[in-house]
Amino acid sequence: MNAIEIVNLSKNYGRIAALNNMSLNVPKGSIYGLVGPNGSGKTTLIKALIGSLRPNSGSVKVLGLDPLKDKWQLRKQIGYMPQSPALYDDLSARDNIRFFGEAQNVSDLEQKVDEILLFAELTARADDLVRTFSGGMKKRVSLCCSLIHSPQIIFLDEPTAAVDPHLKMQSWMLFRKLAQSGVTIFISTHQMDEVLLCDKVTILRNGEILAVDTPQNILKRGKTRIKTTIKNEDRITVIDSNSTDLANALKIYGLDNNISSVEFQPDSIEDIILTIVREKEKEGKL
Amino acid sequence: MRHTFIIARRVLAQLKGDRRFLILSIAGPLIIIYFLKLLFDTFPPMANVKSFTIPFCAFIVHFLSFILCAILLVQERTRGTLERMMIGGFSKTSIIGGYTLGYFGLATVQAGSVLAESIWLFKLSYDLKTVVLMFLVIWLLAVVSVMLGIFISTFAKQEAHVLPFIPIVILPSVFLTGLIIQPGGLPVWAQIIGKCLPLHYAVNIINVIIKPDYLFSSTLVDFGILTGYIFILLVLASLTLKDTE
Repeated sequence: MNAIEIVNLSKNYGRIAALNNMSLNVPKGSIYGLVGPNGSGKTTLIKALIGSLRPNSGSVKVLGLDPLKDKWQLRKQIGYMPQSPALYDDLSARDNIRFFGEAQNVSDLEQKVDEILLFAELTARADDLVRTFSGGMKKRVSLCCSLIHSPQIIFLDEPTAAVDPHLKMQSWMLFRKLAQSGVTIFISTHQMDEVLLCDKVTILRNGEILAVDTPQNILKRGKTRIKTTIKNEDRITVIDSNSTDLANALKIYGLDNNISSVEFQPDSIEDIILTIVREKEKEGKL
Repeated sequence: MRHTFIIARRVLAQLKGDRRFLILSIAGPLIIIYFLKLLFDTFPPMANVKSFTIPFCAFIVHFLSFILCAILLVQERTRGTLERMMIGGFSKTSIIGGYTLGYFGLATVQAGSVLAESIWLFKLSYDLKTVVLMFLVIWLLAVVSVMLGIFISTFAKQEAHVLPFIPIVILPSVFLTGLIIQPGGLPVWAQIIGKCLPLHYAVNIINVIIKPDYLFSSTLVDFGILTGYIFILLVLASLTLKDTE
């Protein structure tokens, strides 16, 4: 079953097409990544999905509901963490989380606030005003606000930007745990290492979808550079990143005694995504 | 209603957290009243400045309540908390109601402190009933100003956008509502504009109740119109506050 169904979605700001005839399905209980440079349409797409933006054409269903027509029903079931912290600086972390929890009528709110503060490692600073927090700490409070009411689907707009690696890893462990319990995570990110942690990824550029695939399949689109040194002479062979091509590439050497070293340099996910973007640009699609 | 109270409580907690804002919004009017006293002291003794004192107090509260509320609500928009509140399940009416209710407290303190200072500083002597009515007028005007601030904030995308509304919405009140001169001598079109401004009705009431033998019933229409502004602005703000781009 799909948690999100998008059909021919378009949104224009004047002459600029922020989303261009986009269609997409997101399976329930998955971690779905949205990757693309600034201005590619990631935030616009999230805003269209949460009902904060009225598209020019196309249809959107989130948990089977229309984000605009069924907004009250849907808003109880979604969590949203915007790109900016969107917190009250003159309130404490606890008061911020409590405020958004109260909006959703969360039962055992105080206990849940304590639990989520503990998860975000903010217990010691729970009663301090948010204005005294660092950027990363504000992100953590913001994440807590979006999770406090145990939503069925969570929209996270660059949630781990400026968050330290330790908490970033913990956040991803939580996302995975939530996904395993049936919660859908829709996440936009700039950070390529996070792409590999998603179940499926959509690459966006200028409001258009360039690719939709699993991280593993995206990695397969990359090339591997094999650098062999034979009698102090370097030889570089470029092959597709799959095991069959690798075996064929090495067969010709037959484990020659003269081969003193073999180095593999597979494309990183960032290289592959950039290549996909460039290829589409060459095709004139962008 | 529950959501309205949650937002009102949050607004009050926020005001408590921002002590600088809180002190300035209460001390600011008091300082301006003191400057007004210094100005009036330069006038010849025969000038009847006392009749201008309370209307000016009302104007100061009107101006400050409007500007503070408008800027704070625009801040909600620029910081993304307004969108987050709406996505989080708060309705437009609960946001407007919560803000108004939250600022009731501040408006009450502002109206009370300004009135008390004016009576003390200008050595005004009115009976208790008149003082209570004066407080009620200033308080009602402060509430109208909060609603006006909420309404105007919907046209501003950043704090600076509120400033052009001051000469359009607030400053005409100084000249066209009877604050300085009786509007009867103004051209008809200017009188009509003056009658569209809430301060006109507050000044009307104050001008009646500062007279020794006034009839309360003669203020009822103006009180009714001032209260009506609250409902009109509530409806207008609900219509213009958008939860979708």
